Amino acid sequence: MATPVIELRDVSTVYEGERVPAIREINLSIELGEFVAIIGPNGAGKTTLLETINGLLPYTRGQVLVLGQDVARFGPQLRSQIGYVPQEFQFDETTPVLVRDVVLMGRYGQIGLLRRPSTEDRTRVQEALELLGLAELAERPIGKLSGGQQQKVLLARALAKEPKILLLDEPFSHLDFAARDEVAELIARWHRERGLTTLIVLHDLEAIPSHCHRVVLLDGGRIRQDGARERVVQAFTLAYGK
Amino acid sequence: MYGLPWSLIVTLVGGAALTGAACGLLGTFVVRLRLSSLGFTMSHAAFAGAALGLALGIEPLTLALIASVLTAAVLGPVAERAKLPADVITGVLFPLTMALGLIFLYLAPGTAMSSSALGLLWGSLLAMTHTDFLWLMGLTGAIVLTIGLFFKEFQALLFDRKLAEESGIPTRPFYYLILFLTGATIALALRLVGGLLVFVLLQSPAATAFQFLYDLKKIFFWAALLGVSYAGVGIALSFAFDLPIGSAIVLVSTVGFGLAVWRSPKRRR
Ligand SMILES: Nc1ncnc2c1ncn2[C@@H]1O[C@H](COP(=O)(O)OP(=O)(O)OP(=O)(O)O)[C@@H](O)[C@H]1O
Ligand SMILES: [Mg+2]
Repeated sequence: MATPVIELRDVSTVYEGERVPAIREINLSIELGEFVAIIGPNGAGKTTLLETINGLLPYTRGQVLVLGQDVARFGPQLRSQIGYVPQEFQFDETTPVLVRDVVLMGRYGQIGLLRRPSTEDRTRVQEALELLGLAELAERPIGKLSGGQQQKVLLARALAKEPKILLLDEPFSHLDFAARDEVAELIARWHRERGLTTLIVLHDLEAIPSHCHRVVLLDGGRIRQDGARERVVQAFTLAYGK
Repeated sequence: MYGLPWSLIVTLVGGAALTGAACGLLGTFVVRLRLSSLGFTMSHAAFAGAALGLALGIEPLTLALIASVLTAAVLGPVAERAKLPADVITGVLFPLTMALGLIFLYLAPGTAMSSSALGLLWGSLLAMTHTDFLWLMGLTGAIVLTIGLFFKEFQALLFDRKLAEESGIPTRPFYYLILFLTGATIALALRLVGGLLVFVLLQSPAATAFQFLYDLKKIFFWAALLGVSYAGVGIALSFAFDLPIGSAIVLVSTVGFGLAVWRSPKRRR
């Protein structure tokens, strides 16, 4: 077996100033090209898990290896290769950035210090904007977009990064039904065509895409189930109703 | 300005312009990163430091610089984690720094009401020396260079710190670089504008630019230009009506900001 792309060993994460870990003793191993859904009730620790994986939150115990390297040591370098669409975002009206630049900024970490974005960077940005139907909004200030449009911009940003790993936290939460289908299709295609390792947090079991075979159930900061989709979904429905 | 030698006029006007430009550029960060209360506290710490310098007979600007940078180093982590509400920092530390500053002034040899002592409070054009001018030139150059070299990183930081981290930029060094430069700018601006009011130049030009623009490059440019204009018009007013220079600059800044809010497309519904 190849080495996993993401590996968590006995990981706990405690928020600063808190005593109780938000996720605890997590053991999780994800192979190259896997597509995994993460489900669980509010406060289960889903967001915490994603941000522990990309190192935005420092873990308190155990070890997190991404692409074979420890996130605690190589955080920025690893994050430049991980696309992340956060659950919460808010850009007020005066935010001094245009949509195109928000998407371009996703690549800044890869571009590196003391270098300017190249033509290729800009081409990737334009492609991502077009994929999400945002080309017309490209020169608008991000703060003047609707919540759903902003969520699409963040998706475009994550894709324009051409990441090795994609972390999506409730990426449909602000989207209407038509947009949901389109975005789900887009995510599926990227997974299929590029073998992109993808983790997606969802609260709506119906939204788990058909090509997703592995589901992880979190509750109370612990992994309760991890395995074949049908089995985990069944366990979840039994425990929490539908 | 009649009767003043040309070299002095160049120093004064040039120094004021550089102060305005440096404050406008850094003000862009202060406004957007919500560092107002930190900057406010730093400026009064700088005043206290300068007053201590007067009392001890040490170059006031040196101590002002140490005091404001030290404040940045201590309060930076507090502000960064938003653990203490900003108004608490200001509410506690503002009186403290003012009290210290006034005690030092009181202890300063000679009369406490000497012009150099009062200059620390509300600024003084004539206190600007050729050396100050050179320092201001170096500092403004360093600020422009820093912003130019790391424009990408600062743009990401000013957009959203978490997303900047997400893209792989380590934001902390850049955040502290800004705090450090702000501390230095405050200390150098103290001579011209005075400890009570120096903060206005860090706030007003940038806040005005943010009312109109969404493109960060333009915001930097206009904040610097407005800083220069506010300082320039302030000097003219100060000479024309014999007003304290700091107060004159504040009056001009307030009028400018007021006009901006009134005309701002961002506030129009
Ligand atoms: N910034 C924070 N500081 C302290 N505790 C936090 C913070 N954010 C989350 N928590 C706690 O950590 C736990 C897990 O939160 P998390 O946001 O990971 O849940 P989640 O599964 O994403 O929930 P949701 O479905 O509501 O998004 C919760 O008990 C929450 O109270
Ligand atoms: Mg969440």
